[in-house]
Amino acid sequence: MDTRLETMRQSVRDGDHKQWRRQITVDIVPECERENLSWVRRSARLTRRMCEAEQVVIGPTERIVFTRTIPVVPSLYSPSAWRAVTAGRKLHEMGPISNICADWRMVLEQGLLGRRAAAQAAREKFAADPQSVEFLDAAIETIDAVLALADRYARTARERGRDDLAAILQHVPGRRPRSFHEALQCLRLCHAVLWMSGHYHCGLGRFDQYMWPYLQADLESGRLDEPEAEALLAEFFITLNKDSDLYPGVQQGDNGQSLMLGGVRRDGSCGVNRLTYMALRAALDVSMIDPKINLRVTPDTDMCLLELAAKLTQRGLGFPQYSNDDVVIPGLVRHGYDLEDARDYSVAACWEYIIPGKGMDVVNIGAVSMPAAVHRGIVQGLRDGADFDAVLKCAADDISAQVKAVANTYHDLLLPPAPYYSVLMDGCLERGRDLSHGLRYNNYGVHGAASSSAADALAAVKRMVFDRNEVSGAELLEALDRDYDGFETLQSRLRTEAPKVGNHDDMVDSLLVWLFEQFAQACESYGDNGRGGLLRPGSGSAMYYVWLAQGHQGMSEPVVGATADGRRRGEYFSSNLAPSAGVRVRGPISVLQTYSKLDYSRICNGGPVTIELADSVFRDAGAIRRVAMLIRTFAQLGCQQLQLNTLNVETLEDAKRHPERHKNLIVRVWGWSGYFCELAPEYQDQIVERHVYALGEPVIPVQVKEITRHESKTRIDATGCLPVVPDRLQRPDGTY
Amino acid sequence: MTTGTIFDIREFTVHDGPGIRTTVFLKGCPLRCAWCHNPEGFVRQPQTMVTPAGRRVVGQDMSAEELAGILNRQAEVLAANEGGVTFSGGEPLTQAEFLVAVIDRLEGIHVLLDTSGCADAHDFRSIVQRCDLVFFDLKLMDPALHRHFTGQDNGPILANLRQLAGLGVPYVVRVPLVPGITDTEANLTAIAEAIRSLSGLVGVNLLAYNRAAGGKYPGLGMTFEPTWDETQPVNASLAPFVAVGLDATVLGLRDHEGK
Ligand code: SF4
Repeated sequence: MDTRLETMRQSVRDGDHKQWRRQITVDIVPECERENLSWVRRSARLTRRMCEAEQVVIGPTERIVFTRTIPVVPSLYSPSAWRAVTAGRKLHEMGPISNICADWRMVLEQGLLGRRAAAQAAREKFAADPQSVEFLDAAIETIDAVLALADRYARTARERGRDDLAAILQHVPGRRPRSFHEALQCLRLCHAVLWMSGHYHCGLGRFDQYMWPYLQADLESGRLDEPEAEALLAEFFITLNKDSDLYPGVQQGDNGQSLMLGGVRRDGSCGVNRLTYMALRAALDVSMIDPKINLRVTPDTDMCLLELAAKLTQRGLGFPQYSNDDVVIPGLVRHGYDLEDARDYSVAACWEYIIPGKGMDVVNIGAVSMPAAVHRGIVQGLRDGADFDAVLKCAADDISAQVKAVANTYHDLLLPPAPYYSVLMDGCLERGRDLSHGLRYNNYGVHGAASSSAADALAAVKRMVFDRNEVSGAELLEALDRDYDGFETLQSRLRTEAPKVGNHDDMVDSLLVWLFEQFAQACESYGDNGRGGLLRPGSGSAMYYVWLAQGHQGMSEPVVGATADGRRRGEYFSSNLAPSAGVRVRGPISVLQTYSKLDYSRICNGGPVTIELADSVFRDAGAIRRVAMLIRTFAQLGCQQLQLNTLNVETLEDAKRHPERHKNLIVRVWGWSGYFCELAPEYQDQIVERHVYALGEPVIPVQVKEITRHESKTRIDATGCLPVVPDRLQRPDGTY
Repeated sequence: MTTGTIFDIREFTVHDGPGIRTTVFLKGCPLRCAWCHNPEGFVRQPQTMVTPAGRRVVGQDMSAEELAGILNRQAEVLAANEGGVTFSGGEPLTQAEFLVAVIDRLEGIHVLLDTSGCADAHDFRSIVQRCDLVFFDLKLMDPALHRHFTGQDNGPILANLRQLAGLGVPYVVRVPLVPGITDTEANLTAIAEAIRSLSGLVGVNLLAYNRAAGGKYPGLGMTFEPTWDETQPVNASLAPFVAVGLDATVLGLRDHEGK
């Protein structure tokens, strides 16, 4: 990056742009009440007033503009009116539609004026249907608001002698961009207005696919060369970090600005293009928390692309996250997605698959606690003196009951109208129907959380109690009841002598496979989710690996105490698809082989295999290529999704303080490997020091902290797909 | 049934040879290098290690069938990624019979032997002939210094090195750089001189000193007593090797280390 971009990045990191923020609240309730506006009209009014209240900010060197100046998104209703309109209905998380992805390809192609024309045409077509007319008027109101905002930016640019910017903003987002630069500016503005309208986890979709035509034309005509294009790209990525702190999420930075790269086109041909590479390089250059890069791969993905991705992995930002086309697409097809749409998948805020423009899936309605189900089976089976099959039967019944419980709460889901988001989706305007009424796909995602811990518990009981008669059922029950107090020897045997998930051991892995089969079965037999869709099971854990162990405010999923794998009350469960904390595994090959045994066509909601690499891995000249091979192996073995983290200094420091949480943390220094927590303290310091030096290019520690997804910290592994709202964003009356 | 004792199996050991590799650490070593960073490799018997993370038995008896089975289950992955298995330790040749039994059971896996060369000449030959690549560690050329710092004569080691040159198996000579001990210009020059005309030598690696070398000693009830200054930059001098036309590289060194 050149100095202009370096300065810009630093300035965003320093928060210089926050000086423009105004602590004013746009109160739309009085006018909405005066005009007696419906919900959909209120939503449109919100978008309009937010756009109007924005003050134009044009940095002297900025080439892609828009800086948000109104941090707070106001309520649509007074508290009492809000209670009335939502009475007896289930709202998803904070309420507003979230965690989906707009049809950015269509938005760019048609421009907002094209969308306006579509709305006008539909308005004539549906003139007899007042509901449609009202929705379309609302949609038009939002379009006009965005165009007016762009116009103010254009005029200000002109006044300040920035004719370059003025020309761009006079053209987009109204019309189809004439250049890559205009396309980026169009996206920046249209995307920002989604957040300003109260939506969150607003995905960026298949960026290299929909942006490529504009870049290609520029490159071919010679209007732009690759370095210039990469500079624009880097600036665009930097701008996405400006408002990160305003976005709701479990923690700051966890905002779901996912961006997908690579993969096949809708016709099945390879969609990787020059922009795929350029976007990875720009992300590497920028090294900030946004956008969250996802990369679609297959067993045949070009090694050059994987090596570039591995370099980004090395950066320790926690992305890219990898998805395997060969597994994801058939899974989506099996769940009712048209093949062409399935090929067009992107990822929601964390890992759930979503079809841009066509998916109104609610991808995370909650979790099934696999350890709770298994625990129930074990306790009941041992009490009854039953056999292991009875334990399994009871666990399966519990999984099924949990699936029903979580899905039932969403059967009567109330999705608020979203006129502006509807403008950006496929067919809403054309049908005269708001997005909240549904799209082509209206499924619900449920995650089977903490699966490895659950399988470990089953395996321990099967081996120690049933197969080998080494532990009596009564003793185990008492030990569980007493949280292993006075049963430390038994606890240690359960931990060390029973097989554990992650070592490619068929005895325990088959139990993991069994758990997901029961879970998939329960979801498949649930039937209609209440919105004409079905349930998509997944394997993510998000914060559930902590919450299911320790409880969490407002959570309805069951919490369990001590478990039969030797885990004491309150200790974390396994997260996503990863071995339980403290389990010794041989390494990433066995881990991938273990999780390759799952039938992902039945669990298509996503949820990554999570592997942590020590950053010392990267110190060898051939390391990048080897990490690329590891990614390819993930695809070749048929796993679905991979999150590859590079371990950094903070984790090492946390490991010094809390060795019990990091027993499996391996540090490698040439030919030698050691378990970090087993080293004498002065040597731990030594290694931490090595890692400090190893970081290379600077990454702001605070930001790394925000997005690193290690098992070790309660604050992290955040996904944002969760039913929590940070205090600062929650209004006292619960409205949005 | 041949049984051996291993103290770890680690996958994706990126510093232990080409491609994606899995390294098996065998327990037991005839040497006692003062800088050894794997002291759990000294004795053959399983030991209890007590650390802040808890107690753990290091060392596991395993049959050749069992170990080969674990490795064979990865054969395809290792082969697809230009890698294989590395046998390290300790000194893997202390369990020669076991090692032969394991290697003979491997199904087309690239095998790398990481050895100190301190082994029975016959065992050495028989195992090297089963390998695709050898990492041969050379520490000190001066016999007295070698005896002092490793507890053993280097005579048999150098004899095995000469034997290795005639076996037709490619090998890399690796020199651990210990500040002021092995990294002296005299020692490096002597090593370069000793290996310059050996056939089959495919490279020389100088390994930067591992400043975490002493980390595992307290957990095993041992003390690590370096007589050298651990913070001193190592002399990663390639000149003696370049001078005799050898292709040498330094591994594991970063900018603030070395001189
Ligand atoms: S030969 Fe290797 S394993 Fe044996 S003592 Fe020396 S350094 Fe340690």
